[in-house]
Amino acid sequence: MLLNAVIIVLREVLEASLLASTFLAISQMLQRDRKWIFFAFSLGLVMGSIYALSISSVSMMFGGAGQEILNASMQTLIYLSLLVFAAAVPHQNKPLFRNLTIISLVFAVVLSLSREGSEVLLFITGFIGVPTLFNSVLLGGAVGAGIGLSVGVFFYYLLIHLTPRFGVWLGYVILLLISGSMMSQAVEFMMQADIFSSTAPVWDSSSLISERSISGQLLYALIGYEATPTLSQVIAYIGSMTLFIVIAITSSTLREKHL
Amino acid sequence: MRNICLIIFLLLPFLSAQADTMVVEVRIKDHLFFPDEIRIPADTKVKLLIKNEDVTAEEFESYELNREKVIAGGSQAIVFIGPLSIGVYPFFGEFFPKTAQGKVIVE
Repeated sequence: MLLNAVIIVLREVLEASLLASTFLAISQMLQRDRKWIFFAFSLGLVMGSIYALSISSVSMMFGGAGQEILNASMQTLIYLSLLVFAAAVPHQNKPLFRNLTIISLVFAVVLSLSREGSEVLLFITGFIGVPTLFNSVLLGGAVGAGIGLSVGVFFYYLLIHLTPRFGVWLGYVILLLISGSMMSQAVEFMMQADIFSSTAPVWDSSSLISERSISGQLLYALIGYEATPTLSQVIAYIGSMTLFIVIAITSSTLREKHL
Repeated sequence: MRNICLIIFLLLPFLSAQADTMVVEVRIKDHLFFPDEIRIPADTKVKLLIKNEDVTAEEFESYELNREKVIAGGSQAIVFIGPLSIGVYPFFGEFFPKTAQGKVIVE
């Protein structure tokens, strides 16, 4: 059970940790106070606990589609806050836009943490009724969370030590990939809840990179990799990234005109 | 307003038709799936009603079916799968992967 707990907690923590460390590095590159991360962390954990406690009732809402609708909404909101961020960054000499960049980052981190945090909490608290396993699950969970956080810290230092120009670019590319990943997952949840109809996968790359493999899992956390995506997921992935690019470019062109 | 109408119009082909759907009940007990083999017809949408009778939570997960859903201990959840083509689609309980294993057989 120990190793199992390490892997499960690591998987959940890794996703949130990569997202949070990218945002932290970006705010560092924009020369911002990084204190927001503590606020985002605490709020994310509180919201995650509330979600975990109410999961059974949430799950049976909307004829059994409550969990999917809530998850898809959270992912859409993360995406929308990334769009707000992309639009606000070029105008950050104005106080309103300057605040918007931080608010959008906090919003995205809080939502991401609540989702992943709720799963970790559900997994661990389930063992309260199984005293023989509880200690090893707690220990395993702590190790998993530790590894996940360390990877995040490593990633953060990697990003901020790149040359500023390259670092900002890489930060943007990661935000772009998170955008695509969020919307493709949101569409998947809508299919799982039968709100969107499910179709046959457009391709099957599982023989190339299996979602079970470590590289598959890492790619899933980083770019939302799916071995067998449906057409609507591919459209959501490409469409959301295109919109992100359009907004980022339009916003910086507008700034240049005003200067 | 016009934009909202356009978005709804574009989403229409993806929205699901709510017809009579076949329901399959799956129980989770002692970190095992009952039944652990679910046989369903090809090209048919199926509603899985998963009842978790353990005190621990479980996450129903399948890479092949592209599905994942957390089910708290002593509660139930619904997951739609299909329409699928003929084949075998393994699923597992992410929280107890050693024992909680099963497959959907589409024939």
